[in-house]
Amino acid sequence: MADRWNYERRDEGDEEDEEDEFTESHYKAQKDALIFAIQVSESMLQPPPKSEDKKASTDSAALTALKCAYRVMQQRIISNPKDMIGIVLFGTQKTKVPDDIRLQESQCYLLTDLEVPAADDVKALRDLVEESEDTDEVLAPSEQPADMVMLLRLVLHLFQTRAPNIGSRRLFIITDNDDPCAGVKRNPSWDPAVGAKDIHDHGCTIELFPIAHGESSFDTSKFYDDIIYRDPILDEVNTGKVAPAKSSDGLDLLHSLVSNINSRQTPKRAYFSDMPFEIGPGLVISAKGYNIIQKQAPARSCYIWLEGEKPQVAVGETARLAEDSARTVENYEVKKAYKFGSEYVYFTEEEQKSIKQFGGACIRIIGFKDRSLLKFWASIKKSTYIFPSEEGYVGSTRVFTALWQKLIKSKKVGLAWHIARKNGNPQLVAIIPSRATSDEKSGTQYLPAGLWLYPIPFIDDVRDGPETGKVIRTTNALTDRMNKVVQQLQLPGGSYNPSKYPNPALQWHYKILQALALEDVVPSQPEDATVPKYRAIHKRCGGYIQEWSQVADDVLEQMREQKKIKRELEGDDEEHESRPAKKSRATAKDRSVDEDGLSNVELRKRYDSGTLTKLTVAELRGAMGDRGLDTKGLKKDLVERLEQWIEDNV
Amino acid sequence: MADKEATVYILDLGSSMADCHNGRTESDLDWSMRYVWDKISTTVAASRKTWNVGVLGVRTDETNNPLEGEEEGCEGYENISVLQELGPMTMNSLETLRRHVKTGDTQNGDCISAIVLAIEMIEKFTKTLKYNRKIILVTDGEAPMDSSDIGDIAEKMKRSSIQLTVLGVDFDDVEFGFKEEDKSSIKKENEEILRDLVEKCDGLYGTMAEAIAELETPRVKMIKPYKTYDGLLTLGDPNMHEDAMSINVERYFKTHKATVPPASRVVMKTESNGGPSGVTETADGDEMQGVEPTPSFSAVKDARTYKVNDPDAPGGKRDVDFAELAKGYEYGRTAVHISESDYNITKIETTKSFSIVGFIYQEKYEPFLNMGETGMTIAQKFNDAAALKLSSLIHSLHELESYAVARIVTKDGKEPTLVLLAPHIEPDFECLYDVPLPFAEDVRNYPFPPLGKVITVQGTTITENHRNIPSQELQNAMDDYVDAMDISSWERNDEGNRTMEYGPVEDLFSPQLHRINQVIRHRATYPTQPVPPTPAILLKYANPPEDLVAKVKSDLEDLIDKASVKRVPPKAKGRRDKGDKPKPISGLDIDALLKQPGNKRDKINPDKAISDFKQKVELADDQADIENAIKQMGAIVRDIVTKSFGDQDYERAIEHIGVMRDIADQYEYPDLFNSFIRDFKTRLLSGEFNGNHRELWWKMKHARLGLIDNKESEHSKVEAEEAAEFLKK
Repeated sequence: MADRWNYERRDEGDEEDEEDEFTESHYKAQKDALIFAIQVSESMLQPPPKSEDKKASTDSAALTALKCAYRVMQQRIISNPKDMIGIVLFGTQKTKVPDDIRLQESQCYLLTDLEVPAADDVKALRDLVEESEDTDEVLAPSEQPADMVMLLRLVLHLFQTRAPNIGSRRLFIITDNDDPCAGVKRNPSWDPAVGAKDIHDHGCTIELFPIAHGESSFDTSKFYDDIIYRDPILDEVNTGKVAPAKSSDGLDLLHSLVSNINSRQTPKRAYFSDMPFEIGPGLVISAKGYNIIQKQAPARSCYIWLEGEKPQVAVGETARLAEDSARTVENYEVKKAYKFGSEYVYFTEEEQKSIKQFGGACIRIIGFKDRSLLKFWASIKKSTYIFPSEEGYVGSTRVFTALWQKLIKSKKVGLAWHIARKNGNPQLVAIIPSRATSDEKSGTQYLPAGLWLYPIPFIDDVRDGPETGKVIRTTNALTDRMNKVVQQLQLPGGSYNPSKYPNPALQWHYKILQALALEDVVPSQPEDATVPKYRAIHKRCGGYIQEWSQVADDVLEQMREQKKIKRELEGDDEEHESRPAKKSRATAKDRSVDEDGLSNVELRKRYDSGTLTKLTVAELRGAMGDRGLDTKGLKKDLVERLEQWIEDNV
Repeated sequence: MADKEATVYILDLGSSMADCHNGRTESDLDWSMRYVWDKISTTVAASRKTWNVGVLGVRTDETNNPLEGEEEGCEGYENISVLQELGPMTMNSLETLRRHVKTGDTQNGDCISAIVLAIEMIEKFTKTLKYNRKIILVTDGEAPMDSSDIGDIAEKMKRSSIQLTVLGVDFDDVEFGFKEEDKSSIKKENEEILRDLVEKCDGLYGTMAEAIAELETPRVKMIKPYKTYDGLLTLGDPNMHEDAMSINVERYFKTHKATVPPASRVVMKTESNGGPSGVTETADGDEMQGVEPTPSFSAVKDARTYKVNDPDAPGGKRDVDFAELAKGYEYGRTAVHISESDYNITKIETTKSFSIVGFIYQEKYEPFLNMGETGMTIAQKFNDAAALKLSSLIHSLHELESYAVARIVTKDGKEPTLVLLAPHIEPDFECLYDVPLPFAEDVRNYPFPPLGKVITVQGTTITENHRNIPSQELQNAMDDYVDAMDISSWERNDEGNRTMEYGPVEDLFSPQLHRINQVIRHRATYPTQPVPPTPAILLKYANPPEDLVAKVKSDLEDLIDKASVKRVPPKAKGRRDKGDKPKPISGLDIDALLKQPGNKRDKINPDKAISDFKQKVELADDQADIENAIKQMGAIVRDIVTKSFGDQDYERAIEHIGVMRDIADQYEYPDLFNSFIRDFKTRLLSGEFNGNHRELWWKMKHARLGLIDNKESEHSKVEAEEAAEFLKK
């Protein structure tokens, strides 16, 4: 979601850039429209065989698939609020299709029309999956087997009318029947393969999520291989196939279906493509970049119009006004200028462009370094994942792979000059390899193998810390005590796994919104997996922490003793309070003059002669601040307070 | 809050400053002013009311200063002028000043007297308040100076804590390594005097060349440490258990993205009576005596209006009053309204805290998980116990090669974040650095195939002899190249040996930031000059070091040879051969199926026009077929627009046009599309399609659905300029 905002904003900013690059389908909106087609049949509605395991689910495959769709719907509302979702049941006794398509007896039931989900859609689906309130008896199979051609026509119609011009449109078919056309004679003009071709030519894709019961298998070659497509050029990834989800062996069907769908859930959007990746002068390959790591935040608040029948989001439009005359200005009049002091410095459009020009988009390696030279603190923003592409240069993949292997083997990183897009800002990046998901040494098995562009901060981005005094260092004994604690509290696998920690603020925001939208009871207590497991910590380490505290106190006591002895040795016993802490509580009590303020003598004099009021507020504050007094309030209050102090102290 | 400043520049404007020396083609004054203007314009840019600048000219033709001809004993102040009194600097004062900074015909004027004047100016201005006081003297040292009071003057400056900087044109400087031969005896003498003065008052003395050379190095703005958290760092819950660990700490930014000056939107000021346009009209093209009016700008404000859907309104939308609107959020497409009093209801309630969740191994973490900027945590000041305890944690993490994962809420009510804490130990400093970690939602599940092996459709794994897998030769060549290109110790140290890291963070200047600052300052100082070139230092890391490239030449050649990478000709991108088309996994001959009589797409069905159109073109026998397909599509598009209620079907129309354009380009019939779009635009804008659909044209422009020019397709007869022009109107 966040990147979409950026995307839009970027478009806005680049309005003037005539020759901005664009890809093939540049006119399409960067959204996703997803239709779930779930088969309804006897076997899909069969509850799973009874299991010993009490936790085992008793849901039928169809219900499980609906649960899956429900989860995806909820997730999408959070992660991609502009995406559309539709749910079609096929092979149903009842038929429900939109009025604008003529499909009688289609045995298709449009449960949720393809659109950005509304609260009512979520609610209806929830009632169905959680309360099993199938009031309309939609989950009843038809006598005739489902007609795949009907289904594909309906889906194409939905994509065409509900989701025009959307970049990613996908049909997810969830079924346990590997041969829906068995016994049906194929007729060239009524062939599902033609229907599938239409869907593909419309720029949509079909993905299959097969379910296998018990020992049976799912043979895609019987039917589905004819309607699932594979692009030999673009699909370096998708072999087009997903392993069947099993409903037996105590394996949770929901679990395996959810994980299958999750792996295909987010449409893979490249952040940049056909990027020249210069390994050395004269050796260029092409790469694609992906924002695998991307901060997700709640969508911004909006304005809502309540006067109508239904609350409605009001769409804002911006008119530009000149500040001096408040007249409306046209776009062409608007110029870009930089504030310089209180005035503006102006550049022509061509000059503006030339200022930003640091060369075209590229990743250019300027050398390699030992990985240890990459300092932990040198972090400034998220990294971009890159993967080779044969788009611009044939042979990119093998060269990329050779580099990847070398960097892992020798524990090195590349240093590169990177410009993500034309007129973009240059950034220096470290090129770091991620290990294969199968590699046991990998601490990040949830991330794909490849290279990452890790931005290195500029010196301008580095801040100095505050002045610190002399280091007080731990003792071996104390560190040993702490070691016990650290060793006891390893996270599972000794690594950080983000999937265990949903963002509590984000989840809470949408949980409340959902409750408000569905008119549920607003929950009172957020779930927050980031809160440390206090009970476990104290159970496992309480004792060790106590020991550590004890040792720390002993060490501190010793330190105090030593200091005292040292001071006595130096015969410095007049100033007993010359501990470092003194500085902070230094008051002017025993100082008669401060550097640039007023001395106590002078204050007394002014007090006696009644000329304290002649001092400026700044002087008063200075004098009072030095003496540790509150410096807030009106001048009258300040003078009173200071008078009081002088009476008491001078 | 930065400290207050009072700086007086003393500029030598004597006749000798107009000459060029030592091979320079710039006069000594212009050359020196490069430094001065840079400094002054930096002050202007900062726009701080508390930074004051004064300027004195010495060896000016006139005499204009407060000490001039006062009482007796005040001789020696002739030919010194106050060009600007101490005060805040603006663009206007910069312009006035620029007019004053010119060399004259005068040879005499005493720099030492000017320093005395500058001291007076500063003292009068700053009184006894807290200021950073500075005097910067720029001179070529060609005029006699009276050095009799130097001791007193130095003493006075020290007492008033004024810092004196003397920058001499071609002054000798052993440290910088500059010595001017055949120097005049007076200059030699003056250099002595000034050096003596600077030493006595602990000032700075340098030759101008050095100061100008330093301008090349971007200045990094120092920012005062910003505390992001202070309070307890805990392990366990100190509120519930006595045995919890808690340490008083403070956390600061270690890295924070430096802000780049943003460009603002402005318009030319409208002058109601007799503005520039009016003048030109009456003067009938007469140039205003060669004076270019300084453009003056006014900021642009945004005024927002709000619209809602209303089926009864023309165009389906109507304006609503801002006062009628309430705040809320979208849940899916449902608008959820939240009343003012409940506004925080969606915010998670949190209390300020910093607590350790657990520990992980350093080797199990990868830096590319970092979400952003680094913080640093140190013990609370003057708290020995905190320092000792924190130190034990730092050392423990270091010994066990571990990191800590911690949850931080920087203020009550702020959202919680997870950070990774790493130990950092220096001889005189210890701290924990932290970087933000991603949450579950921040990591996207994008599947990618493995690298170094290929899995076929049949499911077998191949690990060698495949075009996507490096051969052993390629791998060896890559290994050698990477080793040869190592820059871990490529930078030379002071002795000239390669022992230092190349491109450490300390040497990386933000090109964008410094480039913009450079051109803004330049433009403000020299409004009529073109934008200067990008300083080399900002481009230093745009390419590998040349000497290194020379060294690795043979390794690189070997690698290029083994890699044998071939560029895909740009034309071939996006095009594909028949065999490369996406097809069913089964390999079913779909074309044969489509050629069946029942599937002929002679007439494009508007309900699935895009697929029909593509298939018709794909199976077209001749150009006439394609022409016919484009014609039919054109009619369908026009029909969509005509029937569109408001903007309802615009997206559909755009998709259809986009597909037509892509296909026409792909099948190399750009002119068929071009004639369609020309006609379509004319009719659209003339309102032929049942009402005003101008908005659609605006959207099409945005999607760049214009003419296909001959840059895009060699078969097009349309020039790039024409295509650009077409989209403009």
